[in-house]
Amino acid sequence: MDELELLKKDWVKSGDTFEQKSASQLYPMLQKKSSSIVKMLFYISIAELVFLLFCNFTPFLVSDDYHEKFNNTFGNGTFNKILLTLSYAVVLVFIYFLYKSYKTISVVDNTKILMQNILKTRRIIKYYVLYNLLLIVIIAPYYTYLSVKTKSTDFDISAMSTFELSKFLGIVTLLTLLVMAIVYGFYSLIYGILLKRLNRNYNELKKIEV
Amino acid sequence: MSKTEEQNFVELLEQNQNIVHKVCRLYTNNYDAHNDLFQEITIQLWKAFPKFRGDSKFSTWMYRVGLNTAITLYRKSKRTINTQQFDTVQFKISAEEYDSTEEEQLKLLYNAVHQLNDIEKALIFLYLEDKNYREISETMGITEVNARVKMNRVKTKLRTILNP
Repeated sequence: MDELELLKKDWVKSGDTFEQKSASQLYPMLQKKSSSIVKMLFYISIAELVFLLFCNFTPFLVSDDYHEKFNNTFGNGTFNKILLTLSYAVVLVFIYFLYKSYKTISVVDNTKILMQNILKTRRIIKYYVLYNLLLIVIIAPYYTYLSVKTKSTDFDISAMSTFELSKFLGIVTLLTLLVMAIVYGFYSLIYGILLKRLNRNYNELKKIEV
Repeated sequence: MSKTEEQNFVELLEQNQNIVHKVCRLYTNNYDAHNDLFQEITIQLWKAFPKFRGDSKFSTWMYRVGLNTAITLYRKSKRTINTQQFDTVQFKISAEEYDSTEEEQLKLLYNAVHQLNDIEKALIFLYLEDKNYREISETMGITEVNARVKMNRVKTKLRTILNP
C-alpha cells in the first residue's frame, strides 16, 4: 500500500481515539480569554496610542503654568495651532482606520484574506508610529533651537555664526535621529517576534500563487 | 449570546470535536500544547458562531476556523518543555489493532508530516480529510490549479522525507 494511503487510512481511524471533551469541560472554555496575535496586536496598538497621547498631554496636566511657559518659549502663533489641530486630527483618523481595519479581521475568511487583513492592520499601526517618529525628528531640532534661544543661558545662540548654528542643529538632528532609530528598532523587534510566524506563512502562501 | 445559542454551540462542538483534535494533532507535539490550541480554536469558534448562518455544514465551517486559528492566530504555547510524547498520551491504541511494522511506518509518516511547514500541513490535513480541490482552494484562498500543484509537491516532499 502507498505510504500516503496508509496515513489516510490511519487518519480516518484516529478520529475515534481522541480523548473526548464533555459539554461540562467545553462550557468553561467559552469564558476563557483569547491569546491570539490579533488580541496582542490590539493591546499593543492601544498601548502605543495611550503612550503617545500621554507623552503629549502629561506636561499640561501635571503643571498649571506649563502651558504658559510653553507658549512663551515656542510662541502661540498660527503654526503651533495648526500643528496641534493636525495632530488631533491624525489621532482621530488613525483611530478610525484602526477600528475599521480590526473589524475586517474575521476568522471565517479564507486563510489568505485573514492574513492580509491582519498585516494591513499592522501596517496602519506602523504608519502611525512612523508619523510620530518623523514628526519628532522634524520638530525636535526646531524646538530645541527655540528653547535655547529663549532661555538666558551661557549658550548665546545669537552670537553663533551660520556654520556654528548649522553644526549645532546638525548635532541635535543626529541625536534625535539616533534616539528615534533605537525606538524604531525596539518597536520593530516586538512586531517582528509577534508576527514572525504569520509573515512566514503568508509568504509561503504567496509563493504558491507565483 | 443567549443560553440557547450557547447550548446549541456546545452540542455542535461536542459532536464535531474530532476536527479540532485533528488540527491540534497536526500543529502541536505535546499534550499541553494540544489542549492550549484546542482551547484557542474553541474560543475562536465561539466568537465567530454568530456569523455561522447554517448555509454550510457546521463541520465544514470548523475546518476553516480551526486551520485559520492554527496557522494565523495562534501564538505557540510556551509550555513546550513537557517531554511526554503526544501520541502515547492522547491515543488509546487497542491490542488487537496493534501491528508493529505498520505502527513503525505510521510513526515515521507522522514524524514526516510534522516536518512540513504550516501551509503544507494545512494542505495535507485537507487531503487526509478527503476535501476536494475546490474546498481546499476556498479554505486557503488559492486557486484550484495551484492547490493541486502544491498538493503534489507536498506529497512528493513527504515521500522524499520517508525515502531519502
